[in-house]
Amino acid sequence: MRLPIQSGWLLVLPFLLLVGGLFLGPILNILWLSVTDPTPGLGNYAQLVTSDTLGRILWTTIRVCVICTVFSVLFGYSIAYAMVHAAGPTQSRMLSLLLVSFWISVLVRTFSWLMLLGRNGVVNSGLEALGIISQPIPFMRNELGVLIGMIHYMVPYAVLPILASMQSIDGRVVQASRSLGATGAQTLWRVYLPLTRAGVVAASLLVFIINLGFYVIPAVLGGGKVLMVAEYISVQVLVTLQWGTAAMLAALLLFGVLTLLFIMSRFMKLSTVFGGART
Amino acid sequence: MHDKQFMRETLLQGAQAFQAGKMGRRSFLALCGMAGFASTSVLAGRAEAAASEIVMWNWGGQSEECHQSAIGVPFTKATGVPLKFDTSGPLQGKIKDMVDSGHVTADVCDADLFDAVALGKTGHLEPIDYSVVDKTKTVDGYALEFGISIILYGYAFMYDTQAYPNGAPTGWADFFDTAKFPGTRSLYKWANGSLEAALMADGVEKDKLYPLDIDRAIKKISAIKADSIYWGSGSEAHDMIVNGEVSMGMVWQNRGRSIETDTNGRFKLVMNQALAMPGAYIVPKGNPGGAAAQTFIATAQSVQSQLDLFTCLGMTPTNPEAIAKMAEGDQPYSITSAANMPLIALNDPTWWGENTDAAVNAFLAAIS
Amino acid sequence: MTGPGGSLHLRSLCKRYGSYPAVDSVDLQIERGEFLTLLGPSGSGKTTLLMMIAGFQDITSGDILLDGTSIANTPAEKRNFGMVFQGYALFPHMTVKDNIAYPLSVRKRPKAEIAARVAEMLDLVRLTPFAKRFPKELSGGQQQRVALARALCFAPPVLLLDEPLGALDKKLRIEVQAQLKDIHQRVGTTFVYVTHDQEEALSMSDRIVIMQNGRIEQVGTPSDLYQQPKTAFAASFLGKSNFLRRDGAVFALRPEKIDLAPAGAGQGANKVSGAVQSVTYFGAVLKYQVAVPGMDPIEVDVDAWRGGAALPEGARVDLTWSETAAVRLTDQTL
Repeated sequence: MRLPIQSGWLLVLPFLLLVGGLFLGPILNILWLSVTDPTPGLGNYAQLVTSDTLGRILWTTIRVCVICTVFSVLFGYSIAYAMVHAAGPTQSRMLSLLLVSFWISVLVRTFSWLMLLGRNGVVNSGLEALGIISQPIPFMRNELGVLIGMIHYMVPYAVLPILASMQSIDGRVVQASRSLGATGAQTLWRVYLPLTRAGVVAASLLVFIINLGFYVIPAVLGGGKVLMVAEYISVQVLVTLQWGTAAMLAALLLFGVLTLLFIMSRFMKLSTVFGGART
Repeated sequence: MHDKQFMRETLLQGAQAFQAGKMGRRSFLALCGMAGFASTSVLAGRAEAAASEIVMWNWGGQSEECHQSAIGVPFTKATGVPLKFDTSGPLQGKIKDMVDSGHVTADVCDADLFDAVALGKTGHLEPIDYSVVDKTKTVDGYALEFGISIILYGYAFMYDTQAYPNGAPTGWADFFDTAKFPGTRSLYKWANGSLEAALMADGVEKDKLYPLDIDRAIKKISAIKADSIYWGSGSEAHDMIVNGEVSMGMVWQNRGRSIETDTNGRFKLVMNQALAMPGAYIVPKGNPGGAAAQTFIATAQSVQSQLDLFTCLGMTPTNPEAIAKMAEGDQPYSITSAANMPLIALNDPTWWGENTDAAVNAFLAAIS
Repeated sequence: MTGPGGSLHLRSLCKRYGSYPAVDSVDLQIERGEFLTLLGPSGSGKTTLLMMIAGFQDITSGDILLDGTSIANTPAEKRNFGMVFQGYALFPHMTVKDNIAYPLSVRKRPKAEIAARVAEMLDLVRLTPFAKRFPKELSGGQQQRVALARALCFAPPVLLLDEPLGALDKKLRIEVQAQLKDIHQRVGTTFVYVTHDQEEALSMSDRIVIMQNGRIEQVGTPSDLYQQPKTAFAASFLGKSNFLRRDGAVFALRPEKIDLAPAGAGQGANKVSGAVQSVTYFGAVLKYQVAVPGMDPIEVDVDAWRGGAALPEGARVDLTWSETAAVRLTDQTL
């Protein structure tokens, strides 16, 4: 009997090979570079233990990403909730606004924040004029500035997966909870949240992973003091020519993300998280 | 090297400046081996570069026009070879990647002299042919084996006259003295210039800066870290001063003039102890245009080209003859003018070419 | 098994969407422990009315009283009414046990009490072996029983059911109807049941409310409604009827109340003659369609075991009925 090789696979095989090659090739190149440049061995990885700077940069990156993820998802959840419960026309207006915000370049946002919350920005001068503060509040050029900028950028990304999961909830389930005597908070906590968990997990993953690669916002709003991995990698590639270190950090990010996905997959089906069929 | 950003920033105002970020990332993708796609599409259009033309790799914007009118026109007139541009910015990492990939599409890079030291050492550059290029038409010590300085820029600082009505700061010592001159400071975040400024503030003679004592400089910088913010591009440095985020800020010296003019002198440039930086032309190994690149560099040394470039871009000439011919009003803003020469320090490209990684990483470790 | 049921009084209850009245001046008294069915076609306002009682639909005017106290401004979660939704609305992320325990656990009852009560409810709906399953692992009928147990678990005075059997196939539906009726009798809770299925309404209800266009058409026990429909709509929506015009009035006449005999054999005051148009065999009954000159065709049901062989099409027949069989309707015309 002949093996049932499906002809469909044969048709896409060349593309699979092409895509596989284009993705695997560079990744292997990075891994190779990380153990061969400048000298063969695990010297680049040893830096993780020996270098205080790298440790600090990684810690800054993780701290900023985690805080940003938490707040982005929190705000995203609230916005998605408001959207799901808005009337049809309002909901589509809200969705359009949300999508439009994707088109605003990160540079424009960054400068807008500086104008708004900078030392002599609208908010600070306003508060000073009103006599509420005597010294400008340092919103920008520090970690707070980076967080404000990043959260603002990421909230729309958080909204979409959460919105999708909320839209798939049967409204009667929420009514059922109320009819059974649950308060609004109990309904949210015990029914609504668990049912939107897949959306929350997807949003968190998405936001966290995008955050890891952030470059412009930390560089500008951080005033140079909030150095995150992406910017550090770029400096090592373009300025100091320590490509081994850069490759090592890139590999670290890659495996960090893969590990995250793996851990998550232990708890739930990734296909449901990313909107695949629910079975 | 990254200091080249300065030139781009000079040209691209405002938001555009931050494309630095994008470029960095894209170039990193090149490293990832996407080279065949992303990086060549950036380095782009120049794949057809042949001996029939010279491709200059610079930062685009106004510098494309200025280089064309100041150097390209006389060069083409003399040789019949047209000048074309790749405006994606010749950072060291990108030049290295281009040469390593064996697909060299640029002839002359508008880079820094320390790039010539760093990349020359690793075999990524063609030597300068001093039978064609004139060693004497630049500042002493700035004609190196793999690159020659064509223009100068520099690091200086500006202060807010309203913040210090009773006595203005006059040098880096005042800049680093936040007790005597309270307020926030801004420094360049990739070490260059900042280290020299710190050492001068700490009492090191301006002609005895090199080899830099990195630890000593870092100590001085760390001392005012709480009062400091750091910029990565010229427009950022500009904004930090003009928006009142700092009361004293380091700038690329040639920007100081426009800030003074634009603010009617509210913010003043201090040229004392400014650090002169040699911008250089370098030739990637195996450049498609061959020897014509050397002729191009020689053209750029001519008095007229140098003066045109100053008028067009604000970069100080290196050819002594051109310096001497500069207009009276330009002299205070020309870092190598007779009046400024005794005040300023000169960057040592060799030290930076050999120590960039250590210096930048030590600086980043200190400020982050 | 649970506390006594509550009585509900609906007073001039209205719900308008713009000028469109979804529920129009409904007055209704629902007795303690009663099984009351709201019956009507879709769009008749029965579900809107139920949602107003539940508190999910605000009322435009009128009042709702529970045991004499107005609850019109009480939010749904405070009304303490159990509700079984169309499609059940079980919590998909909870086991059967947790679904049933939910109303008690949101009321923060002691764990032991919850466990005992849940066990009791599982037993009531005969689902004890399925306690640890998730809803999606159960059949439709089982899910329906979980929904019922969950809604009854906290001993509500009133249970509202919105077409709870709609998703079940016919055979199962009849079985579940019996169980539902049985459970109603055992718990004593007041049931308000919404359906568009007349058989369901007839077989389970103490009283039926027939609704049309947001108004109550007629209220009564199943036999009242069946035997004494007041309107043509009631007569035709609940069972089948022939309509006759006599003396300027309209009468409803059920097909099974007509005697059919070969021409000339029919006796009585109420008699018409016609010809068999068609005859269909349904096992228990033969359904005749008889053409009568000057009238709409008349449908007649004859017990199959009684009538012997079916009369052929075209056969001349006499139709007769007793004086009480024809019910005079309030409608003046049809």
